[in-house]
Amino acid sequence: MVKMTLIARVTDGLPLAEGLDDGRDLPDSDMYKQQVKALFKNLSRGQNDASRMSVETGPYIFHYIIEGRVCYLTMCDRSYPKKLAFQYLEDLKNEFERVNGPNIETAARPYAFIKFDTFIQKTKKLYQDTRTQRNISKLNDELYEVHQIMTRNVQEVLGVGEKLDQVSEMSSRLTLESREYADKAKDLNRQALIRKWAPVAIVLGVVFLLFWVKTKLW
Amino acid sequence: MGTENNKGYPKFPARPAPSSSPYASAPPPGIPPPSGGPPTGSDAVGFRPFPPSASQPIRPFTPSGPPPAPQVGAMRPAQPSPFVSQIPGSRPPPPSSNSFPSTAYGPPPPPPPPPGAAPFQRFPSPPFPTTQNPPPQGPPQTLAGHFSPPMSLRPQQQPMAPVTMGPPPQSTTSGLPGANASPSPADFNMAARPGFQQSMPPVTPSYPGVGGSQPSFPGYPSKQVSQPPPMPFQSSQGPPGPPPVSSYPPHTGGFAQRPNIVAQQNLHPSYAPPTSNVQGLVEDFNSLSLASIPGSMEPGLDHRSFPRPLDGDVEPNSFAEMYPMNCHSRYLRLTTSAIPNSQSLASRWHLPLGAVVCPLAETPEGEEVPLIDFGSTGIIRCRRCRTYVNPYVTFTDSGRKWRCNICSMLNDVPGEYFSHLDANGRRMDMDQRPELTKGSVEIIAPTEYMVRPPMPPIYFFLIDVSISATKSGMLEVVAQTIKSCLDNLPGYPRTQIGFITYDSTLHFYNMKSSLSQPQMMVVTDLDDIFLPLPDDLLVNLSESRTVVEAFLDSLPMMFQDNVNVESAFGPALRAAFMVMNQLGGKLLIFQNSLPSLGAGRLKLRGDDPRVYGTDKEYALRVAEDPFYKQMAADCTKFQIGINVYAFSDKYTDIASLGTLAKYTGGQVYYYPGFQSSVHGDKLRHELARDLTRETAWEAVMRIRCGKGIRFTSYHGNFMLRSTDLLALPAVDCDKAYAMQLSLEETLLTTQTVYFQVALLYTASCGERRIRVHTSVAPVVADLGEMYRQADTGSIVSLYARLAIEKSMSAKLDDARNAIQQKIVKALKEYRNLHAVQHRLGSRLIYPETLKFLPLYGLAIIKSTPLQGGPADASLDERCAAGFTMMALPVKKLLKLLYPNLIRVDEWLLKPSADHDDLRDVSNRLPLAAESLDSRGLYIYDDGFRLVLWFGRMLSPDIAKNLLGNDFAAELSRVTFQEQGNGMSKKLMSLVKKLRENDPSYHPMCFLVRQGEQPREGFLLLRHLIEDQMGGSSGYVDWILQLQRQIQQN
Repeated sequence: MVKMTLIARVTDGLPLAEGLDDGRDLPDSDMYKQQVKALFKNLSRGQNDASRMSVETGPYIFHYIIEGRVCYLTMCDRSYPKKLAFQYLEDLKNEFERVNGPNIETAARPYAFIKFDTFIQKTKKLYQDTRTQRNISKLNDELYEVHQIMTRNVQEVLGVGEKLDQVSEMSSRLTLESREYADKAKDLNRQALIRKWAPVAIVLGVVFLLFWVKTKLW
Repeated sequence: MGTENNKGYPKFPARPAPSSSPYASAPPPGIPPPSGGPPTGSDAVGFRPFPPSASQPIRPFTPSGPPPAPQVGAMRPAQPSPFVSQIPGSRPPPPSSNSFPSTAYGPPPPPPPPPGAAPFQRFPSPPFPTTQNPPPQGPPQTLAGHFSPPMSLRPQQQPMAPVTMGPPPQSTTSGLPGANASPSPADFNMAARPGFQQSMPPVTPSYPGVGGSQPSFPGYPSKQVSQPPPMPFQSSQGPPGPPPVSSYPPHTGGFAQRPNIVAQQNLHPSYAPPTSNVQGLVEDFNSLSLASIPGSMEPGLDHRSFPRPLDGDVEPNSFAEMYPMNCHSRYLRLTTSAIPNSQSLASRWHLPLGAVVCPLAETPEGEEVPLIDFGSTGIIRCRRCRTYVNPYVTFTDSGRKWRCNICSMLNDVPGEYFSHLDANGRRMDMDQRPELTKGSVEIIAPTEYMVRPPMPPIYFFLIDVSISATKSGMLEVVAQTIKSCLDNLPGYPRTQIGFITYDSTLHFYNMKSSLSQPQMMVVTDLDDIFLPLPDDLLVNLSESRTVVEAFLDSLPMMFQDNVNVESAFGPALRAAFMVMNQLGGKLLIFQNSLPSLGAGRLKLRGDDPRVYGTDKEYALRVAEDPFYKQMAADCTKFQIGINVYAFSDKYTDIASLGTLAKYTGGQVYYYPGFQSSVHGDKLRHELARDLTRETAWEAVMRIRCGKGIRFTSYHGNFMLRSTDLLALPAVDCDKAYAMQLSLEETLLTTQTVYFQVALLYTASCGERRIRVHTSVAPVVADLGEMYRQADTGSIVSLYARLAIEKSMSAKLDDARNAIQQKIVKALKEYRNLHAVQHRLGSRLIYPETLKFLPLYGLAIIKSTPLQGGPADASLDERCAAGFTMMALPVKKLLKLLYPNLIRVDEWLLKPSADHDDLRDVSNRLPLAAESLDSRGLYIYDDGFRLVLWFGRMLSPDIAKNLLGNDFAAELSRVTFQEQGNGMSKKLMSLVKKLRENDPSYHPMCFLVRQGEQPREGFLLLRHLIEDQMGGSSGYVDWILQLQRQIQQN
């Protein structure tokens, strides 16, 4: 059963549309929405490039497809057939591209296509019950292959981003520190040089001074 | 001072330098200063233009002279000459306003005056031959008292600044103590002052003695001509001082600081200087002579001369001129546009200190609020106080930083928003950025401002279908109206709609789009409400349009034989709440009888006369059952706004039902004794307006203000979510909110205070927006200045709300007395301000800006929620009017308090074919029975009702033309309709015009003939507030009463 549906632009994670009464009867809908937003953020950074993916989270599962730089995501019960879920997203995608296709890139404000929610609502109802004749026939339809679609855990997915972040942060820190180290080494070198030759120079200086004074006085 | 000025100056970069205008005027004949220099003003008098004084040859107004005083040097450099350049274009110098801007902003001394050469101008000394009064030497006050200087003098005689006329003033000593270092003036005044002082050498001895008139001053010959007084109400009493021969013009009500300058009441009413625009000339204060002993009408007591707001509400516009970037006063009105600088001053200001905000006020064509999208930059806000970027922020550090005008925090400018500054420190892209030039803007909100996607507009109807509803025809009218509005509901195609009807049971309607007819489901279990269907009770209108129409068509028929008298209102409300709580929206309740079943059952109250007059009386005016307040709180939480329509002719406990509207930002419409033939039109129009006006959904509003002051209380229909966040589930242009502020710090050190109203809402089209209104007001140190900048409209609005709130916790009498006490205190304080120097005798004095305050105070006391005793208005009427008045914007409230009364018979008889010449009938009459001529035909219009009053001796022709053959019949049975002749058409067009003027309510038309009791009394006479009626005082008595109390110590 479809719990919530979101459509966002991949390039910057801008939400474009959302199902109308999403999260109804869902106690932690806020938490899941946060996860979805984090997921979008990850996507906008160019990770998880697989265009079709399922992500498990708690008792639910996110399915999403990315097409034409738009991500269509839905959250379902785990028991809900994967095939139907992707069919549902395909339907949304087709309609969304048909209606809003040319304007997607230029949308500037969040939920620019909120009017699409009525269609989401309608389509959702069609997919609500897995036992309707229509849906059963879809299930039996082998045309749509969903077996290859990867399933991962949400922690993992969101974690990847974090790890990558960590690595890049570490490497940048490393660069910074090595540069610092080089600077310091140079500095030390110079100091060592000074320490080594300073006494000699001083002695010589005194000697020359003496000589000079001597020549002057005499 | 100098520094202060410098500091203050950059803050107003965009303001045209009005002060400079005087300099722009033609150079007068400059004459080197012969004897005594021009008087340096005490702060008070200094720059106010003086009438040429007889004894005083020299006019010292020009600030042009290089100041000999040390401060001068300091400040000069800081004030750049660029001003001068701005002069020409910036603003035409209305003479009257000259003094005001100049003082206010501290015009820098004119551009390049070499310190040594004093360019100030003087008037030729010879022209003043006579001194009528040897003036007392001394305090400026007296001087001031004798004169009100004509403003016009200045501009005309003002020399061009740069012209060096002569040596610098020799004497720097001012005759007036404290002139140089007077501590108290308003901030901006102070800033201005130094310049002035420097420029004008004070002449101690001669200065004060300007008593007389100078017949011919070279510059202004026409001065002597006295014109009809601009202010009609001046005292008729003789002048305390020797009567000046010539008339003195009243001074401007501008900003010149003149605590002690008081215009004499006996000024010759008027004198309009040739070049001045008259409206700029305003008395410092007005007075009413009330020498008579209360009760006896002496000739001095001419009530015809009492101030009356016959021109309607006058918006304060001095600030619109002074701060052109302020938001329009239709959005935000301060009770006084001069904020006191200390707590002690604030406590002496007995009027309320606050504002009335109408965030979505309707804008006239072409003045729409600009819509801004910051895009990926994000909204520019102050990091600390979250203020939105506005015209008053300043950019520094070559454009990389901006300083918040409210908390002075220095913020970084985001890269995308960066723009270089030009030589004046203005951003180069100023013109392309409305948020930096306009006081009101709308910003598109990014995702961070949404807790959920923008909701669609949702309308849910909860309709009582018990026997009274069907009998009165309410059901039919409502169904028809809703149906006719379906096309115009905002937000297509997302709009959702749903219905529940109820009598002793609840009826739900399944309106699934695939059905052809709606399915009705009846739930009889009132104790444990459940929804028979999970979906399809609230449907998308565009999809289920046919089903909805079918439902509305059949609704009146379905229940026409219903004989159920019960009303399960509480359970129905709960059911509606369950349907709506996912998304929120607007809930319209049509209630016809007292809720009698289930939760929220109400009892008959208020029929026990013994309760009235006791301390428990107020309980009748508040909700009895906590159920209502609880429901209202829940609804607000889920973004449900409730509008209540009540129709019963019997008691329905509006006090309780109205609570729902009050805390959800809604409105109460009350149609006592609804009959579709009578009230149908009104309901149709008002319901249609409610459904189709632009509405802001799931809104919150906050008003921010500068450091040191804080908004402490809010008044209106809303729920407070935190200490300063107003939750408004549905808000529209007909709602206004009032708030009071208080000073947190004992002394404000800033020169100005900024206010910013921010309303975050979802527009019907599905956009989340923030509407931001920014305004600024100066801080002053002088009480007189506060009075001068007071705004009667918003003060009255706040008073009305306070009084209504008070009536919810106290007796009506107490609420009325409280209002009276407040007015008395304010006027007493004002009197104290001026009484010292003048023999005011038994005159009532009041500032020009508050001249209508006593009358409006009287009107509040006589308004429906507060008037009289239990017999004067039914409890329901009182409460409904109270809820309505709590939400009314200023203009509508003032019209309700002091309605229009116009005579139309003469206008109707005029043969003009043109129906549009309505200007002729805009003559408003005082609301007193004596305005009514029995030979006339009058229209009374308070925005909610139109009453046509036919005089007894009205020519039968007119009556016949207007009423057809019924003209002799009892008018209560006559329906008012067009009769097909010119006169009738003309009147109908007038009525239509009056209705269109204010579409928020549809005034019903009542006809009444003189002497037709009790209808006449009920419809009209009771509302003639200047008359005495049943225990309440008339205007004259009221004034006398006030005066008596003011004089008591």
